[in-house]
This record gives sequence, structure tokens and C-alpha cells, in this order.
Amino acid sequence: MSLLSPLNLTHIQSFLLFAAVISLAFGFLGRRRPKDRVKYILWSFFLFLLVGIGIAWAMYPFSR
Amino acid sequence: MSQDSNETAPLAQPPASLDTAPPPPREFSPSEGKAWGIAVAGWLLPGLGHALLRMWGRASVVFVTVGLLVVVGASMRGNLFTSEGNDAFDTLGYVADLGAGSFYFLARAVERGGPDVSHAGGDYGTRFLATAGVLNLLAALHAYEAARGRKA
Repeated sequence: MSLLSPLNLTHIQSFLLFAAVISLAFGFLGRRRPKDRVKYILWSFFLFLLVGIGIAWAMYPFSR
Repeated sequence: MSQDSNETAPLAQPPASLDTAPPPPREFSPSEGKAWGIAVAGWLLPGLGHALLRMWGRASVVFVTVGLLVVVGASMRGNLFTSEGNDAFDTLGYVADLGAGSFYFLARAVERGGPDVSHAGGDYGTRFLATAGVLNLLAALHAYEAARGRKA
């Protein structure tokens, strides 16, 4: 019996949540000024999406 | 002390050339001990290392992000590895999970149903939990470096 309510996220939801949370942490740890942090967070998030979707497309021919 | 006295003062030891001079012995300074303490505190409770350095924004973000990853991972019934792993990957997973410090034991306490990786969500949860640990180790390392004045 778990004390936590079960959470069912789709692949894309998990992917977006992961990218957002890690980008936020990277931005705060890697940059000091608020403006630089925002830019770094957005850039990191964009790269997460780009690499993730790129890998997904690269794997697509092997999925069937 | 004036410049003249510096020029005329006898040297205690003859100057060694840069090529042959041995590196100075590395001593354990109190500030280094403090930095290690901050790193351990940051590992035990995510964000505590930065909080001790009065970096409130970073402390709160580390606490929230690591906590969120652990809660989401445990809610998705990800696998929390134990020290009784069967192979090297289990051991690596245990080290990564243990990086979350006290949150690892908290996750074990609240996730009594055990992991369920028979569906994709459980597998994603395993990654969330491991990422929480590695992220917290990174934050603890950052706090250590900040305490030593290398980063700000």
C-alpha cells in the first residue's frame, strides 16, 4: 500500500516534466543573474526537446 | 616594511628554480573542512548546502526539484534500488538513488507497494528517482565549490 496516489503520465508528459525540472535546476545552479538564468533555462529546455525528439525520430525506423 | 629592507634582508632559504621546486604540501584548512560539511549537508537534505551559504534561491530550487522528481518517481512506482543488487547496474542505480540523501529513505518509506516496472510509467519513475539523486549530488558539489570560493 503506497501513501502516494498513483500517477500515470504519458511518455510525452514525462518527457516535458523531466526537461522542465532539470532545465530549471541547471539554470539556477549554472547562472547567477536572473536574466542569464531565464535564458539558460529556456535554452536548456529547448535543447532537451530537440535532442529527445531527434533521438525519437532516429529510432523510428527500428520500431517496426 | 620598506622596499629597501626587503632587498637587503637575508633569505631563509636559497630560491629554488621553478623547474625543480616541489609543489607546496596541501594542507587541510578549516575552510576546506567547512566546505566538506556543507557538501555533506547538501547531500543529506537537498538544498541545505546552499541554504547554509545563504543562497536562498538555489537552495529552494534544489529542494523543490529534487523533491518533485522523487515524489513523481515514487508515484509512478519507479524502482528504488537497494544495496542488495544482483549486478553492477543495480549497484549503479543504488548509488544514483542514494544521491538524493534523506529523500531516498523518505521515498522508501512512502512507497510501500514496491516498484512496478511492468508498464512504461514505472520505468520512467525509475529514471526520475535516479535523476533526483544525481541532480542532488551535482548540487552538493556546486555548494562545495561555492564554499571554497570557486563558484558563485
